[in-house]
Amino acid sequence: MPDFDLTPIMDSWQFLATGVGVTILLSLLSMAASLVLGTLLGVGRVYGPRPMQWAITFYVDTMRSIPVLVVIVWIYFAVPILTGISFPPFWSALIAITIHITASVVEIVRAGVESIREGQCRAGLALGMSWPQVIINIVLPQAAIRMLPAIGSVLSVTIKDTAIASVIAVPEFMKRAETVAAQSYQPMEVFTFAIIVYFLLLFPTTRTVDFIYRRLSHLGRS
Amino acid sequence: MTDTSPIRRAATQRPLLEYKHVRKSFGAFTALDDISLTIYPGEVVCFIGPSGSGKSTLLRGTNGLDPFDGGEVIFDGLVLPRKPSDVRKVRRRMGMVFQNFELFPHKTALQNVAIGPITVLNTDKAEAEQQAMTLLAKVGLADKADNYPVNLSGGQQQRVAIARALAMQPEVLLFDEPTSALDPETIGEVLSVMKALADEGRTMVIVTHEMSFARRVADWVIVFERGKVLEEGPPEQIFEAPTVERTKEFLGHLGWA
Amino acid sequence: MTLDWSIVWLNKGLLAEGALMTIVLTVLTMGLAVPLGIVLAFMRISKWRGLALLSQCFVELFRNIPLILIVYWSFYVIPILVPVQFSAFTTGLIALVLCVSAYNAETFRAGINSVRAGQTNAGLALGMSQFQVMKEIILPQAARRVLPILATTWVSLFKDTSLVSVIAVGELSHVALQIRSQSFRVLEMLTAMAVIYWMMGYPQAKLSDWIRKKFEVKE
Repeated sequence: MPDFDLTPIMDSWQFLATGVGVTILLSLLSMAASLVLGTLLGVGRVYGPRPMQWAITFYVDTMRSIPVLVVIVWIYFAVPILTGISFPPFWSALIAITIHITASVVEIVRAGVESIREGQCRAGLALGMSWPQVIINIVLPQAAIRMLPAIGSVLSVTIKDTAIASVIAVPEFMKRAETVAAQSYQPMEVFTFAIIVYFLLLFPTTRTVDFIYRRLSHLGRS
Repeated sequence: MTDTSPIRRAATQRPLLEYKHVRKSFGAFTALDDISLTIYPGEVVCFIGPSGSGKSTLLRGTNGLDPFDGGEVIFDGLVLPRKPSDVRKVRRRMGMVFQNFELFPHKTALQNVAIGPITVLNTDKAEAEQQAMTLLAKVGLADKADNYPVNLSGGQQQRVAIARALAMQPEVLLFDEPTSALDPETIGEVLSVMKALADEGRTMVIVTHEMSFARRVADWVIVFERGKVLEEGPPEQIFEAPTVERTKEFLGHLGWA
Repeated sequence: MTLDWSIVWLNKGLLAEGALMTIVLTVLTMGLAVPLGIVLAFMRISKWRGLALLSQCFVELFRNIPLILIVYWSFYVIPILVPVQFSAFTTGLIALVLCVSAYNAETFRAGINSVRAGQTNAGLALGMSQFQVMKEIILPQAARRVLPILATTWVSLFKDTSLVSVIAVGELSHVALQIRSQSFRVLEMLTAMAVIYWMMGYPQAKLSDWIRKKFEVKE
């Protein structure tokens, strides 16, 4: 077993730390955008008119069949050719990851909404609520709690997906680690360090969501 | 059934099952506190008492599924072994019926009844299934042989479970609140199957809340409270003239005057 | 903007080889990760604390780091740790197997745990051994719950094989990206790559939906 030399990590700790910042920022922005879009499309998938349901299903299944790498590369390289507008890598990655993760959120929202008994909707309608009111006040709050564990695992997928954005040189942690590894010729130290950093980022994420779910799960029962 | 004196009719024989100074606790809670009891061949013995009184815990320890902390179970003259491979040999001689039926959902009614003899006794499959068919007929479910448990009512599932226990030709049948999970309208069909088994002279130990069944079918009733035996005796004594005040109170709560 | 789609047709042989490599990687990874996942799951539920802890650490580690990092790590670090020189293909395969075994281990463990304790008791009460209970009662029931999840994992794995392109394993995305950079027909090649993935992945996604419906557990 060779010796561990941590100097390259020490020397570029600021460079690496800002990379972690970009990873977190990209993850949170993608997740937030996916939650909003996914909820809208998820509700449309269940309650929308037939053609809308088909279109959303097609979009979801397409994203289930294409690797996120392909979406990232396509958005970054092909969209500018097609539209003449080019985005910086960070924005391309944000758009691509959002498109990909939204599809997962749609499925989760659909399952969550469908798990709410019909009687709940009828009870709301019987009070004189409109359909949007029923969805916003009765269905989504109950579904949200049931969706929490699945949303938690999607958040961890999102964080992992941001590492793939390194292929279009988004200055996030994976890319920075690669750079330091290449410049220092010490890939073992740098990549092992990267494993620890990602683990410290991801493990608490999944655990926290589990914890919140256990605290709140009684609210989702019906 | 003797109708004159509270004498234990079967007590002249060698005991089939004995509990000697049995203890068990869950953390700080004492579930069984030095229980000693005897069950004779051919008897129907009912364990009654409030929830948490230890009656189910005692039954589940009988075949070592939930072993006791202290004391011993003696079955047919031999102490219940602790070694897994030995306790298995005893278990196959005891049939057990569970509160939640615990039929195997991936097997048909017939396969549920046949699986014990096939896997444990190495009975030939065709023979085991033929025997299983006879047993299903006995519990009145021959026409449901190919149904999966999910397509049977609770009462039907419990009758299949009884047939499954019978398939091992057990020397004693242990019933753990067999009707507690049933809809009221299906309780009767299960109790009448159990009554028929009692009439055959089978040894049965039944944990139950069905007081009228215990009154009618039991040879011996044991009343539990807080991990101890309050009182034991023939049903006419327990239900008509309990000697312990707490028994009266317990039966009174159940509307049994 | 002028598009020249003939570039896709000209390279059909290379693309087909890449697609085949993607399939080979998916099949081989799953073929290895299922038995490994089973071993890890049994370690996790075993009575020996050490084995259980070892399995848990493995599973939690590989579920909580990005696959692309496992790929880089395998590529750069394995050669330093062991004296054997692996090909890029083998390295990619190792990375995929490490990751997918961790997921499968969780799947199998959850499947086994999902069978109620009462079922074990019912089997034991008949006089079955622990082994017989596992074989006759637990595993057949667990299988129905495990299969749909394995199908979902399969679809994810099929997509994730694209990540070994970063260490130049010649699967579909690597091949397509190579042709792109040599021919400068960027839009055509990237779109072709997406469409080929779609054509292969879409039926698999639908098949996994079908399996999920068919094996839905009723109780």
